[in-house]
Amino acid sequence: MVNQVLLKISNIDVFHGTFQALWDISIEVRTGEMLALIGSNTSGKTTLMDTISGLLHPVKGMMEFNGVDITCLDPYQIVELGITQVPEGRRIFPDMTVLDNLMIGSYCSCARSTRKQNLIRVYELFPKLEERRKQIAKTLSGGEQQMLAIGRGLMADPKLMLIDEMSLGLAPIIIDELFKALKKIRERGITILFVEQNVKRTLEEADKAYIFENGRVTLSGSSAELYEKKQVKKAYFGIDECEI
Amino acid sequence: MNDILTPILMGIMLGGLYALISLGLSLLFGVMRFINLAHGDFVILGSYLGYGILTYFGFDPVIGLVISVPLMFGLGFLIQKYLMSRAFEVSSDTPLIIAFGLSLIIQNANQIAWTPLSRGINTGYSNASFFIGSLQFPVVYLLDLLVGILVMLLLREFLTRTYLGRAITAASQDKKAAELMGINSKRVYGYAFAIAMALTAIGGVFLGMTFPFTPTSGISFLTIAFGTVIIGGLGSMWGTFIGGIILGVMQTLGGYFFGPASQMLVVYLIVLIILAVRPQGLFGR
Amino acid sequence: MISRLKNDFLIPTTFIFIILALFPLIGAPRNWILYAFLFFIYLAMANMWNLLAGYSGLISLCQPAFLGLAGYAMTIGTWIGIPWWIGMTGGAIIAAFFAFLLSRAVFRLSGIYFAIGTLVVPEALRMIFYLWKPVGGAMHGAGAGYMLKGIEGVSQNTIFWLAAIVGIGSVYLIRIIIRSKLGLGLSSIRDNQRTAASIGINVFRVKLYTFLISAFVTGLAGAIYYLNQGYIEPSATFNVRWTMIMLLATVIGGIRTEEGPIIGTIIIVILYFALARYAGYSFLIQGIILILIMLISPEGIMGIIKKFLLFAKR
Repeated sequence: MVNQVLLKISNIDVFHGTFQALWDISIEVRTGEMLALIGSNTSGKTTLMDTISGLLHPVKGMMEFNGVDITCLDPYQIVELGITQVPEGRRIFPDMTVLDNLMIGSYCSCARSTRKQNLIRVYELFPKLEERRKQIAKTLSGGEQQMLAIGRGLMADPKLMLIDEMSLGLAPIIIDELFKALKKIRERGITILFVEQNVKRTLEEADKAYIFENGRVTLSGSSAELYEKKQVKKAYFGIDECEI
Repeated sequence: MNDILTPILMGIMLGGLYALISLGLSLLFGVMRFINLAHGDFVILGSYLGYGILTYFGFDPVIGLVISVPLMFGLGFLIQKYLMSRAFEVSSDTPLIIAFGLSLIIQNANQIAWTPLSRGINTGYSNASFFIGSLQFPVVYLLDLLVGILVMLLLREFLTRTYLGRAITAASQDKKAAELMGINSKRVYGYAFAIAMALTAIGGVFLGMTFPFTPTSGISFLTIAFGTVIIGGLGSMWGTFIGGIILGVMQTLGGYFFGPASQMLVVYLIVLIILAVRPQGLFGR
Repeated sequence: MISRLKNDFLIPTTFIFIILALFPLIGAPRNWILYAFLFFIYLAMANMWNLLAGYSGLISLCQPAFLGLAGYAMTIGTWIGIPWWIGMTGGAIIAAFFAFLLSRAVFRLSGIYFAIGTLVVPEALRMIFYLWKPVGGAMHGAGAGYMLKGIEGVSQNTIFWLAAIVGIGSVYLIRIIIRSKLGLGLSSIRDNQRTAASIGINVFRVKLYTFLISAFVTGLAGAIYYLNQGYIEPSATFNVRWTMIMLLATVIGGIRTEEGPIIGTIIIVILYFALARYAGYSFLIQGIILILIMLISPEGIMGIIKKFLLFAKR
């Protein structure tokens, strides 16, 4: 099961209007992995996530998920196949209750039959959501909103979860809690591809990482390898250490 | 004292009708951020459908809704699928200009089919009245209020309880997130337009029983619907209802103080003033 | 410089304009003169609509208010002893002043809100002129329908040439505006309103100027139209028909281009007379054309021509 290629992206180019945001990107995600994308803002990580989710379409190259060509599919078809995205900024439905948000998560027909089980599992993972299930989503704290966004993603019964900037604007304790939750999600056999700003933390949590610069992958490898790479140290940890 | 009570109560009942004809406009704006410039003409089309069904088949126009609602539902779906979905891809002004074109097409089509003469839907109960104390009111106005409330409640139940309704609500709160949840936004838009048009058919029939109408009445009722929605603030159903009542009361009071010929003028001026002063609506954030 | 002149549409266009303007002198048939008259009037109005919708991003649906107010000002003027030519200019100024007042209300609105806010204005004016009879002696239809008084001395040729001046003038006016500082402001607003504001362009003022200019010229053209018609009444004046003409002419020819309204107006006038027999279906046909153009070639005929030229160059 592990080591089988789940998502294979080959040589894609993606445009925002006339601006080319991704150049010749190739990425492989294997089942059960926890994979990270690293890079500064506007380096193309979110664009890649949106392309995988079908919100954007590559003009060149190909994407395959579980052996199915997903290059030209629309977002709802991608979700049916088992990829969900937890978007940057959480983007929960602000005027709905917590429970309704989770219910929308299981909108796709693939997840309707397993809805009850999934809801129990989400509540196990984030007991706070159960406590607050009748609360209007926008009244939750930032951390709780992020839990809701992840929970909502889990409701679609995904094989692969894309998580964009999970810890943005959250307190360190909450970030720890969320990463613990990600580990549990992974133990259930869900593959995770995530984007983080904090490089050090990312390399501690991920098995493998791809480093993005100006829409290209400049480096990739296992976290341990990257940790030792001079370029990474210079580009990221130099700054990181100063900040702390 | 009793004199002024009559227009106020009538205005409140009219508010039900105005909320009813605004629901479609409000729904579309919520989901697609698009104000349908042809909305008023669709309402009038609904009135003519009710009129035609009564005149040619002899069905009560409320029963006639069984025919006109699916008809308008289908028409709405087609318009979204073949016109609007493409228009949104061209530029942000395109849907507006296309809706303007649609508005004139419907006006002209109504004129060809029914002549420019003023029509009204006259049923057995059109001239019936009821009393509150010693004040006399047309039964149709009471129907307007009751149906307005009923349709609003039904729509709310639909939007919160059904799969499709929840998808529409989700798409109106955050389109991108809704798509990421596996909601097919194109399909949702199609259904939202279709439902808006079906609501329009209902609104049109009750409008036709309340007021006389001509093929060019559409702009008046677009203005009323738009005014109702902005007074109430977007997305709030009770706000829409209150907006309808405010406009209804203003209209009847305008008629009471300045004569029936100027009542629409009062409505126009109020809408313009609200647009100028508080375009986000009286209850909007 | 020479090549720029060669490509300039203004030279051949001016030539055509001169021929059209000479119609009365070369003894052209009467209905030809009428076509040419309507061409000039519609051209001025279409150009002004293009200035708003194309160059300033203001989808204005209240143009009938401007032409109607100017027409009424002139007509009422003739009843109280003001000469028609003062009434005509004064009417255009009143239209511009009205635009100024209106701008206070609608300029805070954007996009569709602006469109609906302006759509209501002619409707409200029509009702006002149904109810309000400024001077005695109403005729024509319901409400304030008036003949123009004491214009027997004005020759048909004078009216025709006035229309020609306004029509041709509007083309040059657009050219001047686009090449001026105002035009610079407009093009930066069109590209990005927020950036324009941040580099020190007073977006509100630039838009206001175009709104006032457009109201003035539209009012002038409207007054000349009613001078020719000899009477004015509210329902045909404050009528969405006018908006449709300007919109269709601009969209057919190519919105946001200088040439667009000229080409579009020619087509509109031809269409107008070709469809005269089907007058009852006129809006239906125009509406369908409008929608088809918007979906097939949103840049209108100029868009097609430009694409063709680009293709030919390769």
